[in-house]
Amino acid sequence: MRDVPPQDWHAAVVAAREDGHGWFDWLGCVDEIGVADELRVVLSLRRLDDPGAPELLLQCRLPRSEPRIDSVRDVFAGAAWHEREAAEEFGLDVVGGDRRRLLLDPSFTGAPLRKDEVLASRTAQPWPGAKEPGESDAGAGGRSPSRRRMVPPGVPAPEVWGDRDPAEPPPDPGEVAAATSGGRVRRRAR
Amino acid sequence: MSGAPDEAQQPVHGRIRLIEPACTSCMLCVRECPVWCISLDSHTEPDPDVPTGARPRMVNVLDRFEIDWGTCMYCGICVEECPFDALEWDTAHPAAADGSADLHHGIAELA
Repeated sequence: MRDVPPQDWHAAVVAAREDGHGWFDWLGCVDEIGVADELRVVLSLRRLDDPGAPELLLQCRLPRSEPRIDSVRDVFAGAAWHEREAAEEFGLDVVGGDRRRLLLDPSFTGAPLRKDEVLASRTAQPWPGAKEPGESDAGAGGRSPSRRRMVPPGVPAPEVWGDRDPAEPPPDPGEVAAATSGGRVRRRAR
Repeated sequence: MSGAPDEAQQPVHGRIRLIEPACTSCMLCVRECPVWCISLDSHTEPDPDVPTGARPRMVNVLDRFEIDWGTCMYCGICVEECPFDALEWDTAHPAAADGSADLHHGIAELA
């Protein structure tokens, strides 16, 4: 894995191709929230003249707030599809890339593969697992109010995301990401 | 499961059967289901099998168990998770229905 600064991304890919890594394998993106406030773009290249050689991985770390990277589709045409996918799924800004949507509906807003993206329908829909064994209605009275409520995995507590106090600052992406990946973030016994 | 080279032993993901007497209404399948397609109602009753003189005990009694085949993705997590083997794969498939409401199968249809 070779680290490349954002401004050298295009040049590094050109240099790798001239170095013999002439076969584009894939380009992917990782949301590093929780580790760093970054998106990590990874590009895999292979040599066709030496099938046993390990793949060459180039990676570029970009700030999550402004993830701007140069397109490499003029170097490897096949990278265009991967860039379009990463752009719409992670909200990546690919300078010089194909701006058309690849998979999502044009009206869709948001970046679904960012870890702080909440599945909103899950928070609105009643969860069948909220009941305890022996209950037929999750809202049934007659049980101890101090007992911890079962909440569906992946749904943040209202303090973290959703039905929040308007006076509070906007939701913290780190907390939302931790909550949607199953953690009990700021979740009190209620 | 992994050590079964014989193809006949591989579970066929047809439909999921509920073996009602084995179910303890523990809610594990409902909570583990990634698509939320299982729901159940239960209530508690004094255990009739407690020997005379012993302290009374409460047991869960299953009232309603429902799988929505329109939502189910046949992943089998519920079958794997059930600690009492009350769910199992069946080679038959859920019958086609006229509307999505008819794909909600209860205890009788799942038997």
